Amino acid sequence: MKSAQLKTRGDKTGYLMSLPYVLYFSLFIGFPLLFSFFLVFHKWNIVMPMQWIGLRNFYRLFQDIQFFISIRNTLVFLVIHIPLQITIALLLAILLNQKIKFKGFFRALYFLPVIVSGVVITILWQQLYAYETGLLNLLLTKLGLSKIPWLIDSGWAMPSIAIMATWKNVGLYIVLFLVGLQGIPRYLYEAAEIDGARPVQQFFHITLPALNSTMVLVVILSTIGGFSLFIEPFVMTGGGPMNSTLSAMLYIYNQAFYFGHMGYAATLGFFFAFIILLVVLLQKKFVERKD
Amino acid sequence: MTRIEATITFILLLGVVCVSCEKKRTAPTVAEQGAVRLTYWCASNQSEIDLAAELVKKWNGSHPKIQVTLQPIPASQSSEEALLAAIAGKTTPDICANMWPGAMDDFTSSGGLVQLDQFPDFFDYLTERMPTELLESFRAPDGHYYQIPWKTNPIMIMYNKRLFREAGIQRLPRTYSEYLAAAKAITKELNGDGRADQWMGYQDIRPIWWQRFFDFYTHYIAASGGQTLFDSTDICFENEASVQVFRFFQEIYRQGYFPRTTFQGDNFLAEKFATIITGPWNITHVEKFRKPGFEYDIFPVPVPDDYRGPVYTYGDHKNISIFSTTRHPAAAWEFARYLVSEEADLRLLELCSQIPLRKNLTGNSLYRQYFSENPMMRKFAEQAIYTRGVDGSSVLKEIFDAISQEYEACAIYGKRTPETAVANTAKRARVIIEWSRP
Amino acid sequence: MKKPLIYILLIAGGLIFAYPFLWMISATFKPEVEIGSIGLWSSNFTMRSYAAVFQKIPIGRAFLNSIFVSACVTFSVILFGSIVGYALSRLRFFGRDFLFGLILFTMVIPFQITLIPMYILMVKFGWVDSYMALIVPGMISAFGILLFRQFFMDIPQDLIDAAKIDGCNDLEILFRIIYPLSRPVIITVGIVSFMGSWNDVLWPLIVIRLQQLMTLPQMVTIFAVGGQADGQLGAQLAAATLLAVPIVLVYAFFQRYFIESMATTGLKN
Repeated sequence: MKSAQLKTRGDKTGYLMSLPYVLYFSLFIGFPLLFSFFLVFHKWNIVMPMQWIGLRNFYRLFQDIQFFISIRNTLVFLVIHIPLQITIALLLAILLNQKIKFKGFFRALYFLPVIVSGVVITILWQQLYAYETGLLNLLLTKLGLSKIPWLIDSGWAMPSIAIMATWKNVGLYIVLFLVGLQGIPRYLYEAAEIDGARPVQQFFHITLPALNSTMVLVVILSTIGGFSLFIEPFVMTGGGPMNSTLSAMLYIYNQAFYFGHMGYAATLGFFFAFIILLVVLLQKKFVERKD
Repeated sequence: MTRIEATITFILLLGVVCVSCEKKRTAPTVAEQGAVRLTYWCASNQSEIDLAAELVKKWNGSHPKIQVTLQPIPASQSSEEALLAAIAGKTTPDICANMWPGAMDDFTSSGGLVQLDQFPDFFDYLTERMPTELLESFRAPDGHYYQIPWKTNPIMIMYNKRLFREAGIQRLPRTYSEYLAAAKAITKELNGDGRADQWMGYQDIRPIWWQRFFDFYTHYIAASGGQTLFDSTDICFENEASVQVFRFFQEIYRQGYFPRTTFQGDNFLAEKFATIITGPWNITHVEKFRKPGFEYDIFPVPVPDDYRGPVYTYGDHKNISIFSTTRHPAAAWEFARYLVSEEADLRLLELCSQIPLRKNLTGNSLYRQYFSENPMMRKFAEQAIYTRGVDGSSVLKEIFDAISQEYEACAIYGKRTPETAVANTAKRARVIIEWSRP
Repeated sequence: MKKPLIYILLIAGGLIFAYPFLWMISATFKPEVEIGSIGLWSSNFTMRSYAAVFQKIPIGRAFLNSIFVSACVTFSVILFGSIVGYALSRLRFFGRDFLFGLILFTMVIPFQITLIPMYILMVKFGWVDSYMALIVPGMISAFGILLFRQFFMDIPQDLIDAAKIDGCNDLEILFRIIYPLSRPVIITVGIVSFMGSWNDVLWPLIVIRLQQLMTLPQMVTIFAVGGQADGQLGAQLAAATLLAVPIVLVYAFFQRYFIESMATTGLKN
């Protein structure tokens, strides 16, 4: 057949066209993965030659309290950030989904922090969170309330960062939820209305299940994003107070680029990556439901 | 692919290639008409560039056989990184005058620096300039010298005269007790909200390792009579001096003499803080931004009550080194000697407000006029020979990071006793050193 | 739900998202002492903060660097993404499905593992402190390939057959026939890629040390974290504002595309 003939001709061209990716993969993904694995057994600070040290990096990792604190901090961040983000995003998405005007305007407004660089957001919020002179505390004192030690108390610092991260990203998830909501057929609600179901019941029995796949997406995206938490603690707190905002990425960055422990940092990176994969798989298992 | 797209791609690629080649710079050292050419890197701040330009011009005028080209260190996240990158890429100059002693280990372990004691007049020339014991403190662990001690910014305390006067402080505090008493008199609340609005001083409470140069490290050097963190074999800061420093700052934060918060902006000038722990560079800053009627002066950092002897402090030294890639080490040494000569030192004072490491600065007739015009610099100059730098250890930053952690827990948040904090720090430091051993 | 209540909530939300930005912009024009005030107005508007920023750091250069790098990356991602996407969707060859699976797999790998070896690679190539280090690692995006492949799969085969009969080779088919039909996906990939490259700060912090090659977010970060701002708040906020302005402007014009790109991104995932 003529078309079959035309299709099989694709072999050589197929390889040629895929070549860029194959090259790229080998160089920037395949090689780094292998090299990372190799580096784990060495000690290296770039200027001096590499030294084989066997499993010493692993011994060090398991004695490294600060690293585990950094992982715990990252998890704390996620535990606060993700539910907060889902709740607010869902709420605003539902509001936007009603019959109102200026939807596009509000949607664009909420989305604004998403596109702006994290650096800007961090510098801005550092001023909002400043204890003596910051805007939030000024507002609180004007309302007669006491100031909150946003970034200088070890119990408040990470939640403050989580709030800031939510503010930054919620717009994206509002949009995602909106898309999901718009895909729910109206007649489901109308039928439920007729059956006498109250809005709350409609929400739990129609809306939430229909949003399941969006929900999974939102959770996984937030998680992966949350694990890369770096620039916020880097700029705002330097990891303090009392190591409470030391995120895993910040710790790895310090080990590699401040202290020059390349081999050890590679080991940390590997370990951390496994944790991420584990968490994401667990999430997928628990949040996703088979209908 | 259409021709347009192909051309665009080609141009872009070409552009990328051209731009990435741009960074290669080769400094010619081949003799031109018998003259030796040297490249000299200075720090990238304007006053030091001005100083270097002037000195280089004078030198070139009187030394036709040794011509020097000046380049500021490539501006970067830190000059140590720029230098290490240059060493790794073999693009180092002949001589550089922005060497931080703390990075010496990194520089020397890669073989990047020339041994300076190979020059026969090294010791004589330098001991004429500075006290022998100070020179000794810059000797590398292998016994050789890789840096010419050049200048220092001694850390002292700048204070607001009016606030001190109003608080009834008659004599400048010398010991911890006197300092704490002064702090008590000064820290007060002014606007009726029950919280202090005027404090004795301020330090950034974030656990950033180099902040410790102003609080812990400086006061430790003072309290220990000039010790640094390492002696020739091991760490040596697990001692009473460290404990006293931790206790001192713990008391300060406990009583609220320094606010336990982060401030932005210069609140020393805004007269919220009565003191600031700083160096000579701040004089220029204060002069530029102060309100009329703002009076200030300097005094040395406080020492423990039972301390006797001169007050030492942290010196934030910058030194001069010659790189091993140089083809004319002797010529470079000639030029280096000029950089630390009497005239050059005077210009360093006049142009950059930084203190050369030269003994008897205030007694020397050449400098008399400068110090009579700049009485505050006199105090820094007198302190200059009683400074210490950092040890040139490759794990210095990590150890400072460990100190920061314990300092934060103990002094700022009061969650550990000073003894425990110092013991913990020493333990962590030993672990860090252990892990860094081959 | 009552309409007025909905509007109130939405407006409250809007304020929460917009006011901090408005405050930041107005603070950059206020004299230093007034920055602490909540209000937006000041009677002493000044450009001093911006002057300080331009004086202290070569922010114009950083801006150009960012534009150059982001443009190159975006262009390249679209180019290579479409080529590989085409191959994966319309050509048959041995190993095609394996390659596709590989691409999916790479999207799951957290970058935390490859970060350090990638840096070491840059050192070995001598690309540290060069544009190469900023551009090349971002030249191909698995995500871009995926989107193109998805989109191309829906192109009717007859169009392609017709072109082949006319004697076009595959590249010509891609660029002459398919591209004109692919505006939505090209814009989507372009926007996401540009935004990601423009805002990226961790990678430049790692591979670029020389000030003249720093990207805009990197320079602003160092300015804010290091001591160069002399503790002047206005200057720090001004630098941040300058960082935000370009992309907000682009956003203002292409806003619809932005939002829809991100939405489709999510769906395809």
